[in-house]
Amino acid sequence: MVFSSIPFLFYFLPAVLICYFIAPKRLKNAVLLLFSILFYGYGEPRFLVFMIISIAQGYVLGLCIEKYRKNKRLKALFTALSCAISIGLLVYCKYADFFIRNLNALTGLSLPLLNIALPIGISFYTFQILSYTVDVARGSVEAQKNPIDLGAYVAMFPQLIAGPIVRYSDIAEQLKSRTHSLEKISAGARRFVIGLGKKVLIANQLAELISAYKASADGSVLFVWTYAVAYAIHIYFDFSGYSDMAIGLGKIFGFDFPENFNYPFISKSATEFWRRWHITLGSWFRDYVYIPMGGNRVSKPRWLFNIFVVWMLTGFWHGADWVFICWGLFFAVLLIAEKLLYLKKLERSRILAHIYKFLFVTVSFVLFDSASLGAAGRTVSQMFGFGGLTLVSTEAVYNLRSYAVILIIGIIDSTPLMKTLIKKAEEKPSGAVVLSIAEPIALLALLALCTGYLVDGSFNPFLYFRF
Amino acid sequence: MNKRIKYAVTAAVCGLWIFGLSLLGLILPDGDVSLSERRKLAVFPKLSAESLSDGSFTADFEKYSADQFPLRDGFRRIKAFGEYFVFGQSDSNGIYLRDGYASKLEYPLNPDGVGHVAERMGYIYDTYLKDSGGKVYLSIIPDKNYFMADGIYPKLDYDELVSTLREGADFAEYIDIFPCLGLSDYYRTDTHWRQERITGAAKALAAGMGVEIECDYEEKALDKPFYGVYCGQSALPLEGEEMIYLDSEEMSQIEVYNAETGASEGVYVLENAGGSDPYEIFLDGPRSLMTLTNPNAKTDRELVVFRDSFGSSIAPLLAEGYRTVTLIDIRYLPSPNLKFFVDFEGKDVLFLYSTLVINNGETMR
Repeated sequence: MVFSSIPFLFYFLPAVLICYFIAPKRLKNAVLLLFSILFYGYGEPRFLVFMIISIAQGYVLGLCIEKYRKNKRLKALFTALSCAISIGLLVYCKYADFFIRNLNALTGLSLPLLNIALPIGISFYTFQILSYTVDVARGSVEAQKNPIDLGAYVAMFPQLIAGPIVRYSDIAEQLKSRTHSLEKISAGARRFVIGLGKKVLIANQLAELISAYKASADGSVLFVWTYAVAYAIHIYFDFSGYSDMAIGLGKIFGFDFPENFNYPFISKSATEFWRRWHITLGSWFRDYVYIPMGGNRVSKPRWLFNIFVVWMLTGFWHGADWVFICWGLFFAVLLIAEKLLYLKKLERSRILAHIYKFLFVTVSFVLFDSASLGAAGRTVSQMFGFGGLTLVSTEAVYNLRSYAVILIIGIIDSTPLMKTLIKKAEEKPSGAVVLSIAEPIALLALLALCTGYLVDGSFNPFLYFRF
Repeated sequence: MNKRIKYAVTAAVCGLWIFGLSLLGLILPDGDVSLSERRKLAVFPKLSAESLSDGSFTADFEKYSADQFPLRDGFRRIKAFGEYFVFGQSDSNGIYLRDGYASKLEYPLNPDGVGHVAERMGYIYDTYLKDSGGKVYLSIIPDKNYFMADGIYPKLDYDELVSTLREGADFAEYIDIFPCLGLSDYYRTDTHWRQERITGAAKALAAGMGVEIECDYEEKALDKPFYGVYCGQSALPLEGEEMIYLDSEEMSQIEVYNAETGASEGVYVLENAGGSDPYEIFLDGPRSLMTLTNPNAKTDRELVVFRDSFGSSIAPLLAEGYRTVTLIDIRYLPSPNLKFFVDFEGKDVLFLYSTLVINNGETMR
């Protein structure tokens, strides 16, 4: 089930809200767990088994790790076992066919593919359970004694299928005791509606533009650039919109989930971009892979190796395909080049930095969206005039004009401009009054528009479902 | 405003929206059809262990929940308003407005569709017409985009479409009616052409086939405004328009035999004016096989027209020059089965299709 759907908004959400808020405090986590299982099982119930296995092993082995905390060998054994089960399930479901395909290509064998459908959200909840057992082993959190609470943490529907990747340490206290207030509900509802608007009104519409580009036989350089820019904005609004909805829902249920995006498109370098884009994934890899490997406190060759490994894994996390691995390595190369060569120069020249940012963002997302490395190469060469395309085509002009307002809104809303304006207005008494009146009206308008778009069956894909 | 009140208002607005519409959805009875979209609405899907496990229940439930959503038409209008007026998009659900006319974008050229039409025509010629002794003609009806899309909206490569079809049907003599038509010859809110505006095209067709017709008719208007197919599809606030049909004493004597029902009826089925598609007043709408018999025809010749819905309004005008006009729609009646129903001996044959149908020609059987 996706948040931006009628079944979720008008069937599931009212039901879970009613049950959650009438349930006594001690049963609230159980209500969340129950509805999360319904939420997850709604689309493809057979995948529940993977999630239940993951939760069960995390619970049991978490307790074992804590019990044998002083016995280094047993602690390491249970930690390794938990990690192996979690990663094993992920590899089986997500990467098995990739490895078989490559093994076949390398050896000439013809091992049959497993053709396993990817359980939704497995990449997200696997990382949550990994962080939980590793943190228990490190002693930074206590093992959860209540299986319902641990189940509620892993399966919690707001963040289950597309993040943010909430670490157990982020919400361990809130699982035990959390406050529900009108302020939190209001802030959560506001955040949810804004996220819904980002997803339905911007991301979904740009997805139609991208589909039009892909279906078109009327290629031109203008159309390729329109697509590349639209795709970058689309993926940002799609994913950050979903994160906004997740964070908003979390607030309604009394949780404070970590932020996942911080205006990544205003970055001046790839280094800064990854501090602002999918923050919870970046910090997960930093804390559970990069730093344990030695981080940057090692020899230069080892440091370079660490960076390549982390970014290869980051790319691989996004998908079992060489395209994603190369996408990760593309960023590894940029990050190393920035650190060794030109990061300081970029910081000195805003114009140069923004041109550089614009180019690496568009090119990287073209690669991300490509079916193969060859297709990515073709599209990038077309962007720079090497594809034998005409400069302008009728379809390109039509689509650019048709989506111009959405693209402009997308570009403006990718910057903190609106946030700054609202903050400034709030500082003035008259501005605060106007905003107090305007906000509910704007939210109502957003809800009405989003409902209209959903009722009329507009295009509603969700990219991060495949991760 | 007090912060607490602000929080309460925000929470109340969102809560009322979600819970209110949810409750309304539970209270209101499910509908059967959407008159504006001219289609059946989805019904609650069957719940079973199988439908749950294979995901078909949830997929069907998504359709059901959207189709049966309370105030559905109103929300569709909100969406159209958003697309067209808030986000300044050039079309809504693929339908665009220009100079007061609505049309659906139709592009790019679909070579497979066009090729399939040519192949079907070739099959019909080889199977039924080669030795039938009649003449074979081809004419193509441009859709509104031909006139509306120029320079701004992407449109079909009409020259390519016409030349592909002419090459594929080189056994047929081509009659060009493009110059006889303009945008004002079509309904503002519908795909089709206006019967009262196509007498020129009818005369050109008849002349091309060696028959002279005068098209001297009285214009009669329906007493209800006509809301064409684009009103519902786009959900844009389009105004209704006048629907006129051409009548005369001779026209009223034409007998129309409907092979599907075995019944005989008149050229105009006026009770359809109150139905979901008033354009169906012309020869009772989409029918696989009909024969018009005109006792007052100017010649004794007989004509077979392979046609789509555009043919419904022009065929009665052509009947002025033919003793019988047989209308065949091979989207509904597969061409291999024609031998059971139609005798082509000595009859002229006209392939008359709109560019919209030709471009989606895979539907021809």
